[in-house]
Amino acid sequence: MLAAQVLINALVLGCLYACIAIGFSLVWGVLNVINLIHGSFIVLGAYLAWGLYQSLHISPWYALGIAAPAFFVLGYVIQRLILNRVITAPVLVTLTLTFGLDLILNNAMIYYFKADYRKLTLTPPMGSVSLFDVVVPVDRLIATASALALTGVLYLILRRLRVGRAIIAVRLDRDAARLMGVDVNSIYAIAFGLGAALAGCAGVLMALIFPISPLTSTAYLGKAFVVCVLGGLGSVSGALAGGILLALIEGIGSTLIGPAHATTLSFALLIVFLIVRPQGLLGRKGFE
Amino acid sequence: MARSRLTSRGFNSLLLAVCFGLSASAALAQDVVKFGAPLPLTGPLAPEAIKQQQGYDLWAEQANKAGGISVGGKKYKVEIVYADYQSNTPRAVQTTEQMITQNNVNFLFGPFGSGAAKAGSSVSEKYKVPTIASTASSAQVYDQGYKYLFGTFTPNDTLTTPLTQIVKAKAPDVKKVAILARNDLFPLAIAQEMEKSAKANGLEVVYFEKYAINTLDHSATLSQIKSLAPQWIFVTGYINDLLLVRKQMADQQIKASVLSMIAGPAYQEFIDAAGASGENITSAAWWHPAAQYSGKDIFGTTANYVKLFREKYKSDPDYAQASASVSGALFQMAIERAGSLDRDKVRDELAKINEMTFWGPVKFGPTGQIDSLEPPVFQLQGGKPVVLSPALIKQGEFKLGVN
Repeated sequence: MLAAQVLINALVLGCLYACIAIGFSLVWGVLNVINLIHGSFIVLGAYLAWGLYQSLHISPWYALGIAAPAFFVLGYVIQRLILNRVITAPVLVTLTLTFGLDLILNNAMIYYFKADYRKLTLTPPMGSVSLFDVVVPVDRLIATASALALTGVLYLILRRLRVGRAIIAVRLDRDAARLMGVDVNSIYAIAFGLGAALAGCAGVLMALIFPISPLTSTAYLGKAFVVCVLGGLGSVSGALAGGILLALIEGIGSTLIGPAHATTLSFALLIVFLIVRPQGLLGRKGFE
Repeated sequence: MARSRLTSRGFNSLLLAVCFGLSASAALAQDVVKFGAPLPLTGPLAPEAIKQQQGYDLWAEQANKAGGISVGGKKYKVEIVYADYQSNTPRAVQTTEQMITQNNVNFLFGPFGSGAAKAGSSVSEKYKVPTIASTASSAQVYDQGYKYLFGTFTPNDTLTTPLTQIVKAKAPDVKKVAILARNDLFPLAIAQEMEKSAKANGLEVVYFEKYAINTLDHSATLSQIKSLAPQWIFVTGYINDLLLVRKQMADQQIKASVLSMIAGPAYQEFIDAAGASGENITSAAWWHPAAQYSGKDIFGTTANYVKLFREKYKSDPDYAQASASVSGALFQMAIERAGSLDRDKVRDELAKINEMTFWGPVKFGPTGQIDSLEPPVFQLQGGKPVVLSPALIKQGEFKLGVN
């Protein structure tokens, strides 16, 4: 029964990890920007959910509808006004720029919210469901379903919509896309906006599960990094596969060799992947 | 010629100004007692340093409001010299030395935590500067045979032993303990003490594991603990870790007769964030605002200290802030009794102290570490911490069961 519980825990956690990583993967895959502000976007999304629930009693499920457009606009503006100016520069320049932006946003959050940990506690609590002694918390289940839904929406956008095809075209060959009449700068901004919107939504969902503090942004960013490398950069299904693989490794590692070494195990796996399969589980050039 | 006269006049006035300045600063220096506080004001330990600073500042403000420290019938203002050692222990040692040799401090507060306090104490001992370490609990800090080092935290086992004794007395059915510790200096040391204490009291430790700093999910660990069915779950860590563990325990419907957590429940942020899920969690700390001591220090009662702290910082003090404040108050007591700023005389008075304070009874043992204090064990009941022991400040009875 312990094995079944560990497996279920890992599947649920894996979907949450995928949700954390998907926006990061999109931006890295399409823009070739390692977006270090991603973790702080997630935390900001969590604060948005917490603030809306505490002050206006707006449920986090509705907060998703507010976070998505708000973060899209935020991401779009940041890309248009700041990142687009250095988008063609080597990756180290954009990395440094997002590092600086992250410092500003993170410190602003520490200033306004303080480094205290807060918790979004739903009243009444959602409780857990159990089946044959395997227990799954309802909020995690709904967050998992929402994470899968968000992933699905992104997949559909990239597959079915014109703008999605343009994003993939830019990812495949920027110059050719420009020659075909694609407004590359606008596509970059849309992709970054989508990445930010996904981060904001992930933050809203994480607020239900994890304590909220600006200090947690690096933990989210670290997970996003590992998931991207494991699953493959710029791939929606890759993020899902990477997330689940990471959660499984952590869960099994924690049970067999103790929680202190679970992280070591996941980073060891990361190194193995970088050597043996640098494109990740489902990575390929282009985005789906 | 005119130029030379001017220069000469200018030189004279400069000389006069320098002499005046020197005598003025000498007069000023005589009226001030300088305390050095090397703190990790930046870097990962910065939040802790800010707490220390708040505690020292509150004491300095109160001492100065009362006119200063009385030394042989004359009042001396308190001045605290802060220096940032950037959460870097070797730099803490350099900073301590600079404070003595360049800032000419009269007395010192130790750097933060056991490791840095031990490192810094080698310097203060060399210069024979009385030092109070306000956040060092490890006995290894004090077993160096130093004469000038004092500490306000009792050893870590004084937190776990009374807790185990209460559980043993009130919950005889508790036989199995699971211990989960954050892999970090203080939380791990407390967990190891808990393991010893549990074994010494005949309890079976069915699980003892460490989790990594920044762990985002404890579900696998908790599933394993649940499968072992312990009656007592003991978790160490900081606020975020413990909130997460508590939430995930509820998620997995893990029930236990006793749930103890150190050090989260000592902080109001934990109590606020945990809400109803905090009910019946037991904990221990060196001090708690719910304690009710009536002391002879500048703050008098614990209630008065809490009131003054709330007025100044609009929040409740925790043990770290209170320890900083009591360190200042103890220096004040020793200086006033010595009637002098002579370091050796003040050191001897510190060693002789045997007084009740707002922090609790204070008497330093032969090593310099406080040995009179019985840290309070408390339990969250109805959203409030209730002191279960020591008997002197007991507020309520231990309750079983955490859902």
